[in-house]
Parts: sequence; C-alpha cells; structure tokens
Amino acid sequence: MSEALAKALMILAGRCLGEARGDWARAMQVEFEAAAPAGRRLAFALGCLIAACREMPRHHEGRLSLARHALALAGLLPMAAMLLTQAGRLGRSAYVYGVLDPAGSQNPFLAGGQLAAAPALLCLWLMLGAAHLGLAWVLLEKDWRRVFHFGAMIVAGTATLAIYSSLLFVDDGRLAVDAAATAIELMAIFSAARRHDRDPESRVPH
Amino acid sequence: MARARRPSRQMILLLAALASRPRDWHHGYDLMRETGLKSGTLYPLLMRMSEQGIVEAEWREPAQAGRPARHAYRLTATGIALARALEAPENGHSPAEVALA
Repeated sequence: MSEALAKALMILAGRCLGEARGDWARAMQVEFEAAAPAGRRLAFALGCLIAACREMPRHHEGRLSLARHALALAGLLPMAAMLLTQAGRLGRSAYVYGVLDPAGSQNPFLAGGQLAAAPALLCLWLMLGAAHLGLAWVLLEKDWRRVFHFGAMIVAGTATLAIYSSLLFVDDGRLAVDAAATAIELMAIFSAARRHDRDPESRVPH
Repeated sequence: MARARRPSRQMILLLAALASRPRDWHHGYDLMRETGLKSGTLYPLLMRMSEQGIVEAEWREPAQAGRPARHAYRLTATGIALARALEAPENGHSPAEVALA
C-alpha cells in the first residue's frame, strides 16, 4: 500500500515539475528507484512532492498549472455544485413555488404554466452544472478546443436560462448573480488561455 | 544592487558535504544521508545552487552494469571558492560576496 502510494507521489511530483524541470523529475525518480531503501521510500517520495510544489511558482509552466487548478477547484467546481444543488432542490414542490413565485402571490394564471416549465428549468440547471464539471476537467487537461466548446455551451445555457426564467417571472436576482459569476469565470479562463497561447509548448488551437 | 545574503544552514551543510570530496560526483540520496537533509529540502537547494552556478549536475553512468544512469552533482569553481570562504571567513570575503562574484 505504502509502496503504491510512494510511486503515485513520485508521479505527481514529476507532473508538478513539468517539462521545464523534467531533468530534475527524472533525477528524483532514478534516486527513488535506485537508492531509497524500502522503509524510507514513502518519506522520500513525499519530500520530492513537497520540493516539486515549492518549485511550481518559480517557473512559467508551474504558474500556469497553479492558475488552472485554482480556477477549476475554487471557481468551476463550487459553481457546478451550486447549480446541481439548485437543480436538486427544484425536485421539491415547495422550492418550485418559492423560486417560480418568490412573492408568494400564487397567481392562478401563472402557477400552472410555471409548474409545467419546471422540468425544462431542471434540465437547464443540470446541463449547466454538468457543463461546469466538464469545463473544469478539460481545463486541467489543457484541452483548449473542448474548453471553448464547454464555454460556448455555458454561455448558451445561461442565456437560455435568463430568457426562459424572465418569461416565467422567476426571481431574477439569483439568476443575475449566477450570470455575473459565469461571466467572471469565463473571462478568467479566456485570460488563462491567452497566457497559454504565449507558451510555445501549450499553444491554444485557433 | 544585489543584497548579499548569508547562505542558509541547510546550504552550508550541503556545501560542506560536496566540498569534502570536491572533485567527486555525488548522488542525491548519498547527499541526503551525509547532510541529514530531507528530499524536500535537498532538491530545491540543488536546483537553486545549479542555477546560481555553484553546483554542476550531470547524468553519470552507474558503476554496476544494468542499472540506470543517475544524476550526480559536484561543486563548480565558484562553489569551491564559496565553500572555502565558509570554512575560513577570516579571509576578508563573505560567503555571499564569493557567491555573487
């Protein structure tokens, strides 16, 4: 178990060091295999990972990688969780009334139509949540073509949600916050993509 | 103007280990044993010292056939001068001055 963990940590350390420090990653790997005794391999691997993490902010590739992880973990995943939670709540009828008619006026002319629209709203929120998860994944993979596809899907989904919810007289305050957060995260991703474009090893396809 | 900084205790330990046999090549794990430094401290130090021209690194073929080549390290002329300055600071030059020279 600890042997497998040590090997996994060494692979992770190599990934953190990237191509810029590839020679040092190979040096650590060879020492790990050739010299580190069985009882000390996990400690050695952990040290190498710490060394690799300390090196990341010091080179361009490492800084870009940190930015991508920060965007995915601190921006996209919480957003996906929030959207999926909203979609999950929509399954409860009390929440449907709360969202669709926040004033609690229970307009009899709107209530039927709003409830009928709830499944489509649920699908939109689920699609947006899933698109955020997908975007986080392809961002970490540096698959820029699919990053743009997921970004376009999120923009289209958010626009559809805004139009659809305005037709249904849904509480616009929360949706405006969601749309603003989406715009900020997409701008951050666009900025990250531009920085990668300047890096010859990870050029963004046009 | 570059600010002259005294080398850290870990760097002094590493310099002393490398200077004990300045013409020989040293492997990473052997340096860990000699200095008592952990891999998380040793490798960033070696990277930094290599960038500063204090240490040179090279892939060396192993003594035993069939084993992989290992990364080995030894002091450059600047590194040897720095190590000597640390051993004898009374010569008028601080270790940092030697390192920046």
